[in-house]
Amino acid sequence: MSLPTLLELDDIRMNFGAIEALKGVSFKVGRGEVVALLGDNGAGKSTLVKIISGGLKASAGRMVFDGEERFFPTPAEAKAQGIETVYQDLSLCTNVDVVGNFFMGREIVKKWLGLIPVLQEKEMEVVVAQALQNAGTRIPSLRTNVEHLSGGQRQAIELNRFAHWGGKLVLLDEPFAALGVEQTRRGLDLIKRIAAQGIGVIIITHIMQQAFQVADRIVVIRQGRVAGDVPTRDTSPDEVVGLITGEALIGQAQETRPNGPQPN
Amino acid sequence: MNSPRQRAIAEFVLDHLVWFMLAAVLIAFSIFVPNFFQIGIFANIVEQSTFVGVMAIGLAIVIIAGHMDLSVESTAALAAMITGILFCSHGIGLGLTFTPEWLVIPISLAIALTVGGVIGFLNGFFTIKMKMNAFIVTLASYIWVRGLVVAISGGRSAQDLSPSLRVIGIEQVLYIPLIAWIAILCFIVFSFIMSRTPFGRHIMLVGGNAVAAFRAGIKVDRLMFISFILAGAIAGLAGWLLAIRTSGATANLGTGMLFNAFAAVVIGGVSLKGGVGKLPGVYAGVLLLSSIHTAINLMGLPAHYTQVILGLLVLAAVLLDTLKLQIRQRFA
Repeated sequence: MSLPTLLELDDIRMNFGAIEALKGVSFKVGRGEVVALLGDNGAGKSTLVKIISGGLKASAGRMVFDGEERFFPTPAEAKAQGIETVYQDLSLCTNVDVVGNFFMGREIVKKWLGLIPVLQEKEMEVVVAQALQNAGTRIPSLRTNVEHLSGGQRQAIELNRFAHWGGKLVLLDEPFAALGVEQTRRGLDLIKRIAAQGIGVIIITHIMQQAFQVADRIVVIRQGRVAGDVPTRDTSPDEVVGLITGEALIGQAQETRPNGPQPN
Repeated sequence: MNSPRQRAIAEFVLDHLVWFMLAAVLIAFSIFVPNFFQIGIFANIVEQSTFVGVMAIGLAIVIIAGHMDLSVESTAALAAMITGILFCSHGIGLGLTFTPEWLVIPISLAIALTVGGVIGFLNGFFTIKMKMNAFIVTLASYIWVRGLVVAISGGRSAQDLSPSLRVIGIEQVLYIPLIAWIAILCFIVFSFIMSRTPFGRHIMLVGGNAVAAFRAGIKVDRLMFISFILAGAIAGLAGWLLAIRTSGATANLGTGMLFNAFAAVVIGGVSLKGGVGKLPGVYAGVLLLSSIHTAINLMGLPAHYTQVILGLLVLAAVLLDTLKLQIRQRFA
């Protein structure tokens, strides 16, 4: 399996004063690939995610996104180019219906008398229904306010909205922290469907089982370095735990390898 | 227990609660208050609702956007006083006239809207650019703008407004004076703006979750600024109508209207938390208050009690807001 590369990180370093949070991190994310980013608390996952999404400026290193070498100065810039961190509940207005949220800031309007912009609700509803249907998401009524929807449904709206508006790489930080078992299962399915549309996904999670269910590849960060970068089907939970805690030999082997992932 | 259909019904009732209340109150008064049930009384209720109603539109928009504007009453008074001073022929009035005479209508209206807009601009500037608390900023405006009204009038009044302007206050269509029709037209226009245009949609979104709206690329600060200016300009319109109705202006014109407007907004279903509420509901809230006012008058209760009742109504309205939230949560 060799997907065209969407994001390439090359020797990313990050210093906070004398503290080295990242000591040269390199890995790739392909289009339509789901990468699970694992690591203990303080390993540097969040720092890395912020650097990718424009929230922090790396001290050194190279990032290639969508064929162009660049870092993003602000989250807004990253977002405009198709990278977004999706936080639960932070990017939806629960007092407005599904259609309103889907089109937030991008409403379809028609000018009356060439002057007054008027919302085209029916047109927008058709687009949302189509987008959700394509993604295999079912929401009973698109005119329901989001406050009445479940956590899973909200996530579905956010991710589908992201995909619909030309998102390319989505970063999910503990996306299922607040969800039940069944909702989590649906959330994992949703991520697979989003990826199937050619979107790269980086998911941060503490739950090994989720990583194995959804990810194509598992990248383990340990003390600011990539301790392991392995296709999910070539590894086991035990091995990954070893990588996270630093007990496995494969971790050291990975460190000596310059460019992380090996094509299979 | 809570089927979707039950929830839909509960939602519908909660969303339109104020209309049910208005209907109930009108029916009850018609039955129990002598002389209540006649066209003249109903027309009077509509006419009385003009000033508080117009003022409440701007207030509601700012509250839906998640802020607060306590200055609308004083702003209206200032617009009324300036209209009075410029176009009245007695008292402190300067008695400006134009040829043709009807030009006084658009010119005075433009002046009133501008005066209101400037106050709104200042509120917006301090709240958004200087990041001050809207409650404090507009409370300050409430005080100093009223002070300005007293200062420029020297505490005296302007009388005998230009007859070409007064026409609007006198002429009736279907028993209802033109000024009341202007208020109704305002409600229709702004209801449309709030429910059918991107501006209104964005106000709702910002009131619900400003961070999300900002992340989605909506210019939150610009939108808030516009809503403050709009609230000021609409208050200016209310003041213009008030000057026409009273054929002049006094320094204490409109005192106490803020609380009526506030009560109407909350009773009308606008949540003080922001992001919730519809303008037709606010109009129903204003009509409800005017109906109660009229009934109190008809029953011959001492006028002093009106204020007690209004105070209790405001309390009831805020309590209702809280209760609705709890009921909603039970059904969610």
